[in-house]
Amino acid sequence: MTFILNTGRTIRQGSYVERKNSSFYCEEASLLHMNPVDMLELDIEEGSHVRARSSSGEVVVKAIPVTSLTRGKVFLCLGPYANQLVGPETYGTGMPDFKTTRVVIERTEDPLLTVAELMQSCGGVSYED
Amino acid sequence: MKIEDVICPFCGCLCDDLMVEIEGKKVIRVENGCTLANEKFMGDHRLKSPILRDANGWREVSYEEAISEAARILLDADRPLLYGWSGTHGEAQSVGVHLAELLGAVIDNTSTVCHGPSIMAIQEVGHPGCTLGQVKNRADVIVYWGANPIEAHPRHMSRYTTYADGFFLKDAFRERKVVVVDVRETESSAIANEFMKVDPGGDYAVLSALRAIVRGKRDLIPAKVSGVSREQLFRVADICLSARFGAIFFGLGLTMSPGKNKNIRNAIELTEELSRHTKFTISPMRGHWNVYGSNEVFTWITGYPYAVDFARGIAFYNPGETTSVDILRRGECDACLVVASDPGAHFPQECARHLAKIPTIQIDPHVNATTHLSRLQIPVAVTGIDAEGTAYRMDGIPIRTRMLFSGDYPSDVEVLEKIYARVKEEKG
Repeated sequence: MTFILNTGRTIRQGSYVERKNSSFYCEEASLLHMNPVDMLELDIEEGSHVRARSSSGEVVVKAIPVTSLTRGKVFLCLGPYANQLVGPETYGTGMPDFKTTRVVIERTEDPLLTVAELMQSCGGVSYED
Repeated sequence: MKIEDVICPFCGCLCDDLMVEIEGKKVIRVENGCTLANEKFMGDHRLKSPILRDANGWREVSYEEAISEAARILLDADRPLLYGWSGTHGEAQSVGVHLAELLGAVIDNTSTVCHGPSIMAIQEVGHPGCTLGQVKNRADVIVYWGANPIEAHPRHMSRYTTYADGFFLKDAFRERKVVVVDVRETESSAIANEFMKVDPGGDYAVLSALRAIVRGKRDLIPAKVSGVSREQLFRVADICLSARFGAIFFGLGLTMSPGKNKNIRNAIELTEELSRHTKFTISPMRGHWNVYGSNEVFTWITGYPYAVDFARGIAFYNPGETTSVDILRRGECDACLVVASDPGAHFPQECARHLAKIPTIQIDPHVNATTHLSRLQIPVAVTGIDAEGTAYRMDGIPIRTRMLFSGDYPSDVEVLEKIYARVKEEKG
């Protein structure tokens, strides 16, 4: 099922922004907000892992129901999880499409990666503080 | 010791009324701050010393070695990118611009993935803005468009808009009308007098419809425009037209969605249409506490607010070409200096992949996503806590942040000046 991914700030993301190696940040940045009816249709339970895939990449995140979200729309707070999906095309503006990425969402049993592991998957080397 | 009138170095509001209590070199209490301010001042999660990555992994190094290594990497590069700058003070930004000129580098700040499109629009049609003090004292209609201040600028409403009594508004909460325009319901939309929910990517059309209504062309408006009913568009236009003084604040919901700079241009032109009938202003909700300062400092020195390329020996600016995401996407830069920001977390992953491929140096007090992509990180003092310098509030007001205690870390300026001196020595 295809959704439009919106990304944005949350106060919890802002609170942990200087602790990106922490489990608090990881938990907030990887929370995918979904309409509960969409979750029902895809047989996704609250807190279970889902794989989100776009034309630029994919990432495992944790789904939670948010009743105020319109069907067909999903939300992730800005950060390294959302940016696995956002493409780098800027159409000559310098600004990628952070608000309207098309993603396919499906259930998965795969684990959630930490921020360090995500960066490792981009070619980095994890630093544990 | 209690320190009054402390400036908060978190978001573009730069709140200047905090009380911070310190004990030695530690903050133990914060009053008047929002959740973000409390975390900023009370957090104690700094990188202890410079770290360098080689074939054997990470190791701690001295500041002397780290600065030499940083200078060597930048001198070896043919097309270095110096990125970030919004989380540090103006004096450090100034050294950064001079370093970029010396290296023939590209220097860009976080506006590039924030309000860069707003700046492009302002360059086209100007900026009918005003200070937050004017809004607080005069505005009886507030429009937040594509912004969620309760989560991103938690005290904006209590200091300047919805809940802030002003000289001409003695009972602001009752006298001010608040309109929120967004693609989803948020904490901010929940307290609005009118919430206008727009389909994703539909802002440009809704702005155009409002312009047409303000111009007296109500009969042209279809029953629905990008998910918004004609009746609601008329209602919102009437609220705006009945304002004695209206203020539009817009966020990344406009700059990052389809239309980008053209959305902002349309919003500015709506503001101008409204000003034919009453007084209206428009201002961006700037995110980083000193992102506005980075635009100011870059402009004083180079003539351009971000994405400045010195490769030709003169300052050159062309968003879409000299902007960081585009340079990284094309795999163009062969070294990167990141100062006071986190492109590893906030750029598309293809850009993060390129940062991991090239020698990336980071100057930042904390471990973040970019740390894992870097070869070298140099921790520095936090401006507003153990370093001081000038910052610009989201409305362009310069405010001097304060040093609350003398810490153990060098400031951004000290580290950057040493790197500059090394590079200058080599370049002659």
